[in-house]
Amino acid sequence: MLLNRDDWYDISRDLDWTLSYVDEEVAFPQCWTGKRAIPDEAWQAWDEPFRVSYRDYVRVQREKESGVKAVGDAMLRAGVYQKLDPAHVAAAHLHMGTTCMVEYMAVTMQSRFCRFAPTPRWRNLGVFGMLDETRHTQLDLRFSHDLLRFDPRFDWAQKAFHTNEWGVLAVKNFFDDIMLSSDCVEAALATSLTVEHGFTNIQFVALAADAMAAGDVNWSNLLSSIQTDEARHAQQGFPTLQVLMEHDPQRAQQAIDVAFWRSTRLFQTLTGPAMDYYTPLDQRKMSFKEFMLEWVVNHHERILADYGLSKPWYWDKFLHSLENGHHAMHLGLWFWRPTLFWKPNAGVSKAEREWLNEKYPTWEENWGGYWDQIIANINAGRMDLTLPETLPALCNVTQLPLGSAMSRHDLEPAVSVYEGRTYQFDSDISKWCFDLDPARYAGHMNVVDRFIAGQIQPMSLAGGLEWMGLTPDVMGDDAYGYRWAAEYAPAMAD
Amino acid sequence: MSTEQGAAKPRTRKLRTWTAFGELGRRPTEYEVLTHGMNHTLRPTPLELGPEVLGNRWLREHRDAISLRVPDWDAFRDPDAVTYGSYVAMQDDQETYVEGLLERFDREDHDAGLSEEALQRLALCVTPTRYLAHAQQMLSAYLQQLAPGSYLATCATFQTADQLRRVQLVAYRTTQLQRTHPSRAFATGERAVWEQHPLWQPMREAAEHALITYDWDQAFVATQLVFKPLADMLLLQQSALELSTAGCTLDALIADNLWRDSERSQRWTTVLLRMLVEAGPENREVLQRYLTSWVPRGQAMVEAGSQLLAASTGRAQTQIAEAVRAGWRSLVEPAGLSVDPV
Repeated sequence: MLLNRDDWYDISRDLDWTLSYVDEEVAFPQCWTGKRAIPDEAWQAWDEPFRVSYRDYVRVQREKESGVKAVGDAMLRAGVYQKLDPAHVAAAHLHMGTTCMVEYMAVTMQSRFCRFAPTPRWRNLGVFGMLDETRHTQLDLRFSHDLLRFDPRFDWAQKAFHTNEWGVLAVKNFFDDIMLSSDCVEAALATSLTVEHGFTNIQFVALAADAMAAGDVNWSNLLSSIQTDEARHAQQGFPTLQVLMEHDPQRAQQAIDVAFWRSTRLFQTLTGPAMDYYTPLDQRKMSFKEFMLEWVVNHHERILADYGLSKPWYWDKFLHSLENGHHAMHLGLWFWRPTLFWKPNAGVSKAEREWLNEKYPTWEENWGGYWDQIIANINAGRMDLTLPETLPALCNVTQLPLGSAMSRHDLEPAVSVYEGRTYQFDSDISKWCFDLDPARYAGHMNVVDRFIAGQIQPMSLAGGLEWMGLTPDVMGDDAYGYRWAAEYAPAMAD
Repeated sequence: MSTEQGAAKPRTRKLRTWTAFGELGRRPTEYEVLTHGMNHTLRPTPLELGPEVLGNRWLREHRDAISLRVPDWDAFRDPDAVTYGSYVAMQDDQETYVEGLLERFDREDHDAGLSEEALQRLALCVTPTRYLAHAQQMLSAYLQQLAPGSYLATCATFQTADQLRRVQLVAYRTTQLQRTHPSRAFATGERAVWEQHPLWQPMREAAEHALITYDWDQAFVATQLVFKPLADMLLLQQSALELSTAGCTLDALIADNLWRDSERSQRWTTVLLRMLVEAGPENREVLQRYLTSWVPRGQAMVEAGSQLLAASTGRAQTQIAEAVRAGWRSLVEPAGLSVDPV
């Protein structure tokens, strides 16, 4: 008789045996499984709703591949890219440079699940995760490679993580930690549940909508197609959380709270500026904050409630950061634009500013003054004053500038001393992350630590740029060549 | 705001491919474009974290301190040049073929007509292989995560997926047999066979030892030169012949089809071996040293596995064992390696 998937699926996951030739603790070391004191029987309750068969997987994915390729080829032929708004294009550069390699890192994280996860059910599901992430890597690479001839910045899809560009190092630091150096349990809670199931909605749903509005059908289609896979393999977090809630809820709370804050800071850097500043005004769907509230915050609150977890202790501070952090990051990114491999749009024309103030009532009070000064300097021809001469002090957890997490008034120092070394943080939340598990973060040197230690020579901004791998053909500059500032010039104001 | 300046304004440098290729002297293939240089951890402190975190210690100890040395691991190329797109297309075709087999044999009521001997053979040699394939799946995944280059890692990714394909096909067949022959121990008895049947023990012993072989080069030898090829030669290639003789035609054809995946694994393994020995004679010595330490386990697998397969209607055990040994030799000897007992 022919069978349905559910007829045979459980047998395909009944794969554990009692090891007798080697020590089980050596074959499945705690450092990677993350089982700790959770009993073996508990993992038998680990279950996932997707129940994927290999047969269906290769059939469906083959169709998806053909679909994405057909759209990509058609758009290339139609010359769509060449007609895109340069500010929107910056979002694509930023995305490809900072995401493509993360997809590849995720192959390796999934492969860790395949080898070391505490139950064969999870080890099997990880295989589809490995394949999915291979797909996403190769989709990003193909997309970027096709556009190389139009802009060398797409080279950074392959190159970025081999450089020391500071933003890339921040991304790498986070994902090296939660994907490549964490045990399976921690990785599932931080990556699958928090990042993939929560935050990537912003990148893959919101950005896809913005890209479509901007006429970038190819990229939009690619993002949406990736999201259909994420929705599947991101499920690995929930059964893991379920097991933890039975046996070690404190650990679950902590892992998720740390990952949620670090994800917030990262997406404030990568997605916030792209949504609220790079996307052309008439094409914006929702503000970053609105999207975060609807797709991430509500979603996260619901998961916490469903599983019996509390909101993180820092919730109010998080909401305050949501109002401010990405504006601070954007200001910093634009100001330190020579340290970027994309061309950021300032996004503060009068009309854009009006939109920002409508979406963020405290925007003008917090950030308007800085931009007014920048605008005045541009219009006075003092471009030198709009460019940095030094590097900003960086947080030893998020790797992001001190002062970029909250409003401009929240600048009280957050510091910890561990084994004789002083560590600085962008917020007391980041300090809290560090203090929970100092060994996880200690010993790492951020860009400024390395600069001060003399590892970057010559010790100048130029030396720093060279160390970061920024060549003149990709080095960041204003997306519109500062033309947007002209409307503020006194002659025009009259 | 003005948007007259398009995204594609003329630039001084028009890139044709990744700068990471350097002077390749030709257009890279699509496979190369999608696979090249994607491991960002090949640096003195592999991960962008403190040097003493778990991930850095593990990579330093088990990958960066290995004895094999090559100037550039990313010089390796998969001879099948498999990309994600070509993989799902190729395997969809194979699964369509197997699906056709399942439908055809179901129409013919194949399982109901299986002889006693055939059923015993399936319970002994086919349905317990889901454990074996799962071990291979875990080992392949490990080769991926510690691989010193993305071309190698990608081969291991697809090999991991091949193993899950086998696990699921075996589970499918096991369930079919269970439903047609409910009085037998299909679906419930395999674990005991895998854990206790004397002729399965050398296989399981090798699997378990391979699982605790963490240095990447030794893991490569254990998995790609010993455990996986021998297990597949026995329980796919040779088994297909014996199954066919015993009237288990469907399972023989499925095993034949799965053997294609194993042949692909052996093709990239062979190419890697060639690259390694061409990189320096010391690599051959290293490989031979590891291989020699694994030869007794491999020989035990061949001895026991061939006994497992040998049946009165089929070939003699020695014939099967010799065929596997010949296959083993043809895998390693082109690289100047030997699997003769010391």
